[in-house]
Amino acid sequence: MRYVKIYKEKVFDFLERLKNYGKLYAPVKISEKFYDRREIKDVKQIAFDYNRTITPAKRFFIPPCEEMFEIDIENAEYKEKIDEVEPFVLFGLHACEIVALRILDGVYLDEKYPDIYYERRRKAGIIVGLSCLPDEHCFCNLWRTDFVDIGFDLFLHELPDGFLVRVGSPRGHKIVDENLDLFAEIKQEDINAFKAFEEKRQKMFKYTGSFDNIRYILELTMQDEIWEEEAKKCLGCGNCTLTCPTCRCYDVQDIPDIDGKRGKRIRFWDSCQFKSHGMVAGGHNFRPTKKDRFLNRYVCKTAYFYPLGTSYCVGCGNCTYFCPANIDYLGNLIKIRGAEEVKNA
Amino acid sequence: MHNIYSLYKCRVLRAYELTDDVKLFLFRFEDPEVAEKWTFKPGQFVQLSIPSIGEVPISICSSPMRRGFFELCIKKVGRVTSKIFDLKPGDLVGVRGPYGNGFPVEEFEGHDLLLIAAGIGMAPLRSVFMYALDNRWKFGNITVINSARYGKKLLFKKELEAMKDVAEAEGIRIIQTVTRDPDWPGRVGRAQEHIKYANTDPKKAYVCVCGPPQIYHDVFNKLIEHGYNPRKIYVTLERRMKCGVGKCGHCIAGTSTFLKYICIDGPVFGYYDIISTPGLI
Repeated sequence: MRYVKIYKEKVFDFLERLKNYGKLYAPVKISEKFYDRREIKDVKQIAFDYNRTITPAKRFFIPPCEEMFEIDIENAEYKEKIDEVEPFVLFGLHACEIVALRILDGVYLDEKYPDIYYERRRKAGIIVGLSCLPDEHCFCNLWRTDFVDIGFDLFLHELPDGFLVRVGSPRGHKIVDENLDLFAEIKQEDINAFKAFEEKRQKMFKYTGSFDNIRYILELTMQDEIWEEEAKKCLGCGNCTLTCPTCRCYDVQDIPDIDGKRGKRIRFWDSCQFKSHGMVAGGHNFRPTKKDRFLNRYVCKTAYFYPLGTSYCVGCGNCTYFCPANIDYLGNLIKIRGAEEVKNA
Repeated sequence: MHNIYSLYKCRVLRAYELTDDVKLFLFRFEDPEVAEKWTFKPGQFVQLSIPSIGEVPISICSSPMRRGFFELCIKKVGRVTSKIFDLKPGDLVGVRGPYGNGFPVEEFEGHDLLLIAAGIGMAPLRSVFMYALDNRWKFGNITVINSARYGKKLLFKKELEAMKDVAEAEGIRIIQTVTRDPDWPGRVGRAQEHIKYANTDPKKAYVCVCGPPQIYHDVFNKLIEHGYNPRKIYVTLERRMKCGVGKCGHCIAGTSTFLKYICIDGPVFGYYDIISTPGLI
């Protein structure tokens, strides 16, 4: 892998130049508690020390609502609506979100049925990763998704006097080559600083060990009382799936125009926490109770995603952080795993 | 790149009432090129769209041996199916597919075949049955058990009744039974109670089951009691797929060690998949 360094004083220049490659989106503090990824006019607004944004990066690739087809009702014709996507740059994605995008790639761009709507956005999106320090909700280390080796164009690792940049794609090389005046070669002290940062980061995680066996434990404890009790707290609002970087359920609807001659087919985000999600024709529901739906998310998130060799959950902690009922997703998994491991100091 | 959600235009050729709330539709592809190439396996389904009303997944119930045409059995239960129900010959619809794994019919070849249907479950199994009839020499004895609550609700009642005598001579047994109809002149009782009348050899028969989720466990128990091989029992499941291609997540079922998309990993599952995975049925 190619490594270069960028000094602190050149970082804003670099961000400014990123705008040449497309619209720049980066995390911005939007209120006392929350950050969100917004289009950047002034690069000084960008928050480097954020932990999570209120909407995950998936929204740039699977919009909350999108038009798929224009319908000519009389002739039963569905004309695909595929617009060109302007290139854009996503700055500041953490490792977990980059893994999440790769999981979405596995789902949306599988060999047999690649999704063209997702693909054209994915091709247009330049990904610039950013290293992070975990807070008490982060547990990517348990899923082994705390470090990424592919899935980004550039990845910035914090150093005391700048960033160590990993170049992860041909597009990343191109960006570096075209802006060589901003980058420097790495020195031994940078390598030491990088190692020190990684070590410090590992020590900050709340729990150590791994969740490799959690899916079996979950399967064996599905009848336990804890799920009954936790489900009672749940409001069924679907916030957890909305903020989850890998939740991708969608619903499809045909909407006729007022003249009844034309219409459009749209798809929009759905959530397994809604009662309608498991309903089939005739009124039978495969997940009739709140407990069924509550547990379904745990089951789905901990399940093994074969193409990537990881679970669908990446350990970002969004679902816990944004839950209005204070349901602790990580806490529940730790509870069923039993024997709480020694906390990191 | 091809858009996987694009639809083929199809025309309704015939709408035929099977019961008061189920109709059989015959469709033809408008594009001759598609008509020539399009093929499917028994047990697969299509996504049928009524422009600006919506899209529903429906099992194909005709034989794949007849190219360019396919039949769908529609029960009037919801918003979209009610609209489909009103379609007249000549009307246009959008279709994409076929999706799903289908029944492993190649594996069935050379063996006896027992088909057990309850209610609308006859629709996907009719495809298997028609396929077996079209390839009669490849199969041993065949039994179809078609059941419903009332005689007037039996799907394909007339069709199956009409072929009964010829069929019996050909090693094909047709059993039609109802559970709650005192006026029905024929057999009564649940489908599983008639397994003993089948002409199939339990040791070498493949079994396909389709019906409402509640019946499966009883049927399985009866089949195993009669000596049928659990490894050779297949069922086809139902979900409300929005995409049919493993994206929308509506048909995800199973547990964390066995999470399946019914639309691409199914809808046909084997007996052991079903019993080791709560939530599948």
